[in-house]
Amino acid sequence: MVRTLRESSITTYTLQCLSDFEDAYQRRINELTARRNQARKIVGTFCLFVPDEIIYAAGADRVILCGGRNATVSLAEEYLPRNICPLVKSSFGSVVSTECSGGDACPHFNLIDMVVAEATCDAKKKMYELLNEYIPTYVIDLPQKPDSPAGIAYYTVQLEQFTDAMEGLTGTLITDDRLRREIKSANETRSLLHRLYELRRRDPPPIRGLDVLTVLQKQFFLSPEELRRILRQLCDEAERKPNEGARKPRIMISGCPMAGGNIKVPKIIEDRGGVIVVEESCTGTRAFWNLVDEHKDPLRAIAERYMQIPCSCMTPNEWRTEHIRELVERFNVDGVVYYTLQSCHAYNIERFRVQQALKETHTPLLAIETDYSDSDVEQIATRVDAFMEMIASSP
Amino acid sequence: MHVAETIYRAVQVDAGIRGGDIENVVATGYGRESIEFANKAVSEITTHAAGVSYLFPDVKGVIDIGGQDSKVIAVEKGRVVDFLMNDKCAAGTGKFLEFTAKALEVSTEALGGLALASRTPVSISSMCTVFAESEVISLRARGITKEDIAAGLVESVAQRVSVMAKQIGLKENVAFVGGVAKNAGIKAALERKLGVTLFVPFEPQITGALGAALRGKAQVLAGHEALLRSCAPPSKR
Ligand code: SF4
Ligand code: SF4
Repeated sequence: MVRTLRESSITTYTLQCLSDFEDAYQRRINELTARRNQARKIVGTFCLFVPDEIIYAAGADRVILCGGRNATVSLAEEYLPRNICPLVKSSFGSVVSTECSGGDACPHFNLIDMVVAEATCDAKKKMYELLNEYIPTYVIDLPQKPDSPAGIAYYTVQLEQFTDAMEGLTGTLITDDRLRREIKSANETRSLLHRLYELRRRDPPPIRGLDVLTVLQKQFFLSPEELRRILRQLCDEAERKPNEGARKPRIMISGCPMAGGNIKVPKIIEDRGGVIVVEESCTGTRAFWNLVDEHKDPLRAIAERYMQIPCSCMTPNEWRTEHIRELVERFNVDGVVYYTLQSCHAYNIERFRVQQALKETHTPLLAIETDYSDSDVEQIATRVDAFMEMIASSP
Repeated sequence: MHVAETIYRAVQVDAGIRGGDIENVVATGYGRESIEFANKAVSEITTHAAGVSYLFPDVKGVIDIGGQDSKVIAVEKGRVVDFLMNDKCAAGTGKFLEFTAKALEVSTEALGGLALASRTPVSISSMCTVFAESEVISLRARGITKEDIAAGLVESVAQRVSVMAKQIGLKENVAFVGGVAKNAGIKAALERKLGVTLFVPFEPQITGALGAALRGKAQVLAGHEALLRSCAPPSKR
C-alpha cells in the first residue's frame, strides 16, 4: 500500500542567501552597541506611522520594539489587563522583565535613548503612558480621518513638532536636504520590496511566505543599508531560480501585524501545503506599498504618504478594502486568511467589511483570531486544512 | 493499541472483510493525522459536508454540534463553500450541556425532553460554562423548575449556534448532525431560531466517517479508471 498520508516534506523555497541572514540579528546588535558607544542616539518605535526619514535625517538610528514572543506576555499581565492585544502585552513585558537576554525576537530596550510612539489604538496609547515611566516616550499624535485635508495638515504639524524633538535629542538640524536624502533612501528600500513582491506573483512563487516574513519582521530592526543588501540578494537569487515545483493554494494574509517571534499562523498554512504569496499587513504591503513623492515639500510629502497607510485605527479606512481587492487580483490569490490578534477591536471589526468585499469577487476568506500561545495550533490547523480542501474542490 | 485501530479491526469483523481487501483508508476528525493505517487525512468539515450530501443530496447547510466544538458549513453540490467553527470555548457545544445538566442533576439526554415540557423558560445569562453551572445552582435554589432551567440552557446553546449559522447564511435545506443532534430540545430551538426544518440523519454522529469513506471510494475508483485508460489499446490512426 503506497502511503500518501499528507506530504510532510514540503518543497522549501528557501533561497541560499537566507542562511547569510541568520546572524543578521547579532550583527545588528553589535552595530547598535558600537554606535551607542560613539554617542549616536537610538530611538525605539512600534508602528508604521513613525517616519524613518525624520529619525535618520536627525542623525539617529532606530530599532523596532514590537513584541511577538509569548514568553513576556504573562510578565506584562502583572501590570496590564488580560484582555488586551498580545502584541501590546508582549512588548511591555519585555520592558518590565529583567530576564530578557536577547533572543532573536527580543526588543532592545537597553539600547535606546527614547521611544517614539504614536496615538493609534487604545491599548498602545495607554501602554505608552506606563512605558514613559521606564523610558522617555515621545508620542506623535495622529488624526483619525487621514484622507481629509485637515487630517493631513494636522499630521504635518505633528511631524514638525517631532522634527524639533529629534533635533533636541541629537543636536543635528534637520534640513530639507537631509530629509530629501532620507526620503530617497526609504523609497529605494520600498522599491526593492516591490521588486521582491513582484517575484511572488510567479506560480509557484520562488520564495516561501515564511521566508519573506522573517525578513520583513526585521525591516525596521536592521539598518536600511543592510536590509537593502539582503533584499537585493534575495531578488537576484529568486530571479535566477527556475520556475518549478507543484502548484499550491495561493494564500494571502490580511490583518494584524506579525511582530518578530510570531510566525504561528503562517507556519501552519505553509506546513499544511499552502503558500503565502502576499501579506496585507504591517509586516507586509502596508509597510512599503506607497512611496513618498520626491518632488514636493519634503515634510508635506512624508505626511501625505504616511496618511495613506491603510491601518484599521483610522476611519473610515475604505482604502484598506480596495487595497485588499487589488492585491487579490494582482497576486492571483486563491483564498484570504484574515488574521487578527485577540482583543484587537479595530482589525476584528473591519473583518466584516473585508468579508463583504471579498464575497463580491467570490474570494474565500478564513478568519482566524488568535494570540501568541500554542494552545490552539491544532484547531487552527483543522480550519486551515478545511479551507485548503475547500479551495482545491472549487471548480 | 490505539482506539482507532481497535475500531478498525472490529469493523472488519462486523462487515466480514479482511484487512488485505481494503484498498484505501481515509481518516477524519481530531487526531486524523496520527492514524497510522490511514492513506490520507481529510478535515471533518469536508467529510461532514460530503457525508450529509450523500444522505440529503439537496442539502445547502450543515450544523454540527459535537462534544468539544460546534460548526456550521455552507454546502453547494456536496462541496464546502464556507464554514465557521467554534472550538475556543465550551459555550455552544455538547460540553456546555453536559456540565450544566450535571448541575441540574439530570442526564444530558434528558435535558431536551425537559426543555420541551417547559412553559416559562428562564434565560441563562452566562455564556461561560463555569458561570452557567453556578447560575443553574442558584436558579434551583430559587425554586425554578428543572424544566424551565433546561429550556434556558437549550436556548443558550441554540442561540450561540444559530448566530454562526446566520453569519454564513444558512437558510434552507439544513441538516443537523453531531452528538447533540439527538437532542430534540436543541433541534426544536434551532428550528425556531432559523425558521427551517432541520434534517437529522438516522445516525447523526457518523456523517463525517461516511463522508471520509465516500472520499476514499471516489479516490479508488478514479485510480482504477486511470489505470484502465492507460491499459486501453492505442486508438487507430
Ligand atoms: S496596525 Fe496600525 S497601529 Fe499597528 S503597527 Fe500597523 S500601522 Fe501601526
Ligand atoms: S494589533 Fe491591534 S490592538 Fe494590537 S497594537 Fe496593533 S492595532 Fe493595537
